[in-house]
Amino acid sequence: MSTSQADSKGYVGKFVRTKEGRAPLLGKAKYTNDYTFAGQLYAHILRSPHASAVINSVDVSGAKKVAGVRLVMSGREVAEYTNPITDYLDPAVFGGKSADIRPMAVDRAWCFGQPVAIVVADDANIARYAASRIQVDYTPLEAVTDAEQALAEDAPRVVPEWDDNLLMYVPFVFGDTDSAFASAAHVVSTEVGIHRFSTQPMETRCYNAVWEHDTESITLYATSQNPHPLRLVLAETLRMPENKIRIIASTIGGAFGMKMHGHPEESLLCLMAKLTGRPVKWVESREECLLIGAREQRHYLEMAFDDEGRMLGLRDRFYANLGAPSACPGWGMAFLTGLTMPGPYRVRDIDVQVHAVNTNKPSWNAARGYGKESTAIALELAMDHAARQLGMSPVELRLKNFIRHDEFPYGSPTGLMYDSGDYGGALSKALDAINHEDWLEKQAQALAEGRYIGIGVAFELTPEGGAIPGTMVAGYDSSTVRVGPDGTVRVLTGITSPGTGNATGIAQIVADELGVDIDHIEVLQGDTNASPYGFGNYSGRSTIVGGGSAALAAQDVRKMIDKVAAALLEVDLEALEFQDGLYFGRGKPGTPLSFAEVCYAAYTRAYDVALCIEPPLEVTRTFRPPSIRHTPDKNGHINPYPSYSNAAYVSVCEVDRETGKVELLAISAAHDCGKVINPVLVEGQACGAIGFGLGGVLSEEITFDEGGRQLTRSFVDYVMPRMSDVPDITMVHHDSPNPDTYLGLKGAGEAGVGGSAAAVVNSVNNALQPLGVLIHDLPLSPPRVWAAIQAAEGGH
Amino acid sequence: MEDLLHMSALIQLRIDGELHELEVLPNATLLDVLRDEVGKKGTHMGCRTGHCGACTVMIDGKVAKSCITLAASLPRATITTIEGLQQDGEMGPIQQAFWDEAGLQCGYCAPGILLSTAELLADNHQPSAAEVDQALAGNLCRCTGYQSIKRAVHSACVRMYPDQETGIEEG
Repeated sequence: MSTSQADSKGYVGKFVRTKEGRAPLLGKAKYTNDYTFAGQLYAHILRSPHASAVINSVDVSGAKKVAGVRLVMSGREVAEYTNPITDYLDPAVFGGKSADIRPMAVDRAWCFGQPVAIVVADDANIARYAASRIQVDYTPLEAVTDAEQALAEDAPRVVPEWDDNLLMYVPFVFGDTDSAFASAAHVVSTEVGIHRFSTQPMETRCYNAVWEHDTESITLYATSQNPHPLRLVLAETLRMPENKIRIIASTIGGAFGMKMHGHPEESLLCLMAKLTGRPVKWVESREECLLIGAREQRHYLEMAFDDEGRMLGLRDRFYANLGAPSACPGWGMAFLTGLTMPGPYRVRDIDVQVHAVNTNKPSWNAARGYGKESTAIALELAMDHAARQLGMSPVELRLKNFIRHDEFPYGSPTGLMYDSGDYGGALSKALDAINHEDWLEKQAQALAEGRYIGIGVAFELTPEGGAIPGTMVAGYDSSTVRVGPDGTVRVLTGITSPGTGNATGIAQIVADELGVDIDHIEVLQGDTNASPYGFGNYSGRSTIVGGGSAALAAQDVRKMIDKVAAALLEVDLEALEFQDGLYFGRGKPGTPLSFAEVCYAAYTRAYDVALCIEPPLEVTRTFRPPSIRHTPDKNGHINPYPSYSNAAYVSVCEVDRETGKVELLAISAAHDCGKVINPVLVEGQACGAIGFGLGGVLSEEITFDEGGRQLTRSFVDYVMPRMSDVPDITMVHHDSPNPDTYLGLKGAGEAGVGGSAAAVVNSVNNALQPLGVLIHDLPLSPPRVWAAIQAAEGGH
Repeated sequence: MEDLLHMSALIQLRIDGELHELEVLPNATLLDVLRDEVGKKGTHMGCRTGHCGACTVMIDGKVAKSCITLAASLPRATITTIEGLQQDGEMGPIQQAFWDEAGLQCGYCAPGILLSTAELLADNHQPSAAEVDQALAGNLCRCTGYQSIKRAVHSACVRMYPDQETGIEEG
């Protein structure tokens, strides 16, 4: 029979909108904070003002006297009801250390902002006021806030029971780096300081825990990217069976990794609801949200080159400042930074040493790019530095060292199996897209006028869709496709959307596979009582595995409907035709049957025409990307990723010599995310990620005083890009389909952060080259750039 | 909080066309009154310091940050929230433009982006790119990198003023 599956007439590959995007524009989308229940109570959390302190006592009696207060608990009391929070990713699985992570500090605080006591009251203002009546007696201790200093033998211990502060040391050592460096014509050393910056979604976190008296269970309305795995963590932490917990992640106002779980408030709020028997809500303040860090790393890179500019060896020793231990998966970013080396380059002899270090700063959580952005920043700044030292153009040096397009699939030295790509082609496209030659002319003209325009390029490789054995980072995911007796379609997915539009992409795929109008499809995500077991949203995986599994399920349901249609029409399957929503038999005159009529028969005629299928019209399928391999190969390597998205970036900027302010003039990107389901939504993802990258390196920074108290407390201090800070972005696709996924999908959403960040920094350093200024310590905020210009001019 | 009512002020707000008489405490923000007393959940809390713009509403036709506006300072005012942008039950032209261009992603910043656009286009039928930047300077969006928002504002302008020769000028 003929089908209308995923062909040019369908929805896939086109810019389609569904109802998903409508509610927010009407002000009708329901975010977690929009749910309020009868008897609603509110929580406020008292946090440590010290980076490191012994807690001698917590006196909550003053808070309990405040009218309207329902419950007050110290960390020690909460610990009686809870187990330590289960790690999202246990560092011990990777050979690292594990600490007991309690929902609230017990006897000792190990970072500024750590929860120390909680108040539950009739309204949020009462809870906040009552918290100020809690008396905590601290003995402040010396804090350690620098990752390298934290490794000194006499450094204070973040976790008192540990021998040192090194959560994990991972060497990625392959080939013979010593020989490579010994035979090199040039060795270029580059030190790169990546600062602490964060994702800061516009919607902060919110949890509203409801005690269900009838079933003695908990329903948690949560800003969660991963409802099912969170449910397991809560079950273990709260000592409850998993089937007594339901998580509902409704519309999410941006997540970018921050709403992956392990946060103390998740289990705390559930406990408060259980103990009060009432719904308890907590809304994170922006000040609290800014406590969640990411990315701070210092890299010491060395690159060895032959006399033609071919890279022979790469060394990178780096230190990641993870802050205090956390059950959130943030620490894994440091591992990924190492694993993704040497990125897009062909060099085989590498010695990369990851030092993941705990300090007394607040903890990290996952942040878009998940460490791969730091690989790109470190490598690409070092490549530009090398180009300067070797007297080559940055483009020429990269083209000479990229993996060639005919070398895929390509096994990286760290064991990753890159599926496909054309890195040189992408870079050329990005340069063409921005009119590189024109900018070179404008740069020369500007310099003659005493203005400083710079052009920077960078490349970024983003393995996406990860799966780590023995963890809830599972790689695969599942979807249910359910067609009702009226022919309308319900899709239930194990993946979730933090506001990216993946439900639209999945509806496009299912509509094409079933051959139905996209308006007949409803996609439901994020309710653990309704969705198939799934792993949610992370690692650019949602369309690969959510779309892939929905496609498989839709194909199976379609086969069932076809069978019933053939039986109704009394034709062989081979003679069945389906066009424009109508079934008819080839060479068989008669009235065609509508899709809905056939579906109704599938439900109502189970004992005659529908005997050929097993009702109802519902199938759950899993997409398990076949290229993920967890059985180690002969080198002991696994391949944890099915997809290696990549992109080239060009940035053009002008630096004001008097003020140090960087103005971006243009950005281009050539993005390879495999098959594109919805071009506008994919471009939206990439442009958003570019916004993260340029904001991250130009203005966003979380700072601390010497004692480890956080100074960045609001958007006055944490400066994110506004419209006028983001230039026009020229986006071109340079897609090479992934051979191992449905339709050739790769991940989208993570690519953009590191590559654009590196291109911006390279453009600034290019602009400042005539002044003898080179900055590798980020961010390039005006005071820092101004100081570097002053220092260089003072040296003349 | 009943014992605090002797301190409250009576205010009269016409919110999205509907008149509300409210007793508000002197420290209540317009944001909290709209969300918790009137049920206008379309107006969002993002920072409570007036920087992000997710709480934006129009007060007597001018955009304002409801999180740093005290409700008691508005004894009588007309408020438009994002929920008041619909026309005859259909999406208004600005909403339709943002829909057509996929102007937003997660949508949490929508109140500010849409109302700031409405204020701009109400009396500027041909804004320059710099004027669009200026009008939306008080609104952070974390999802889009602003590219799709710029397209959508342009499209809204064309929808609202189809007789203008051009919409937003370059530069």
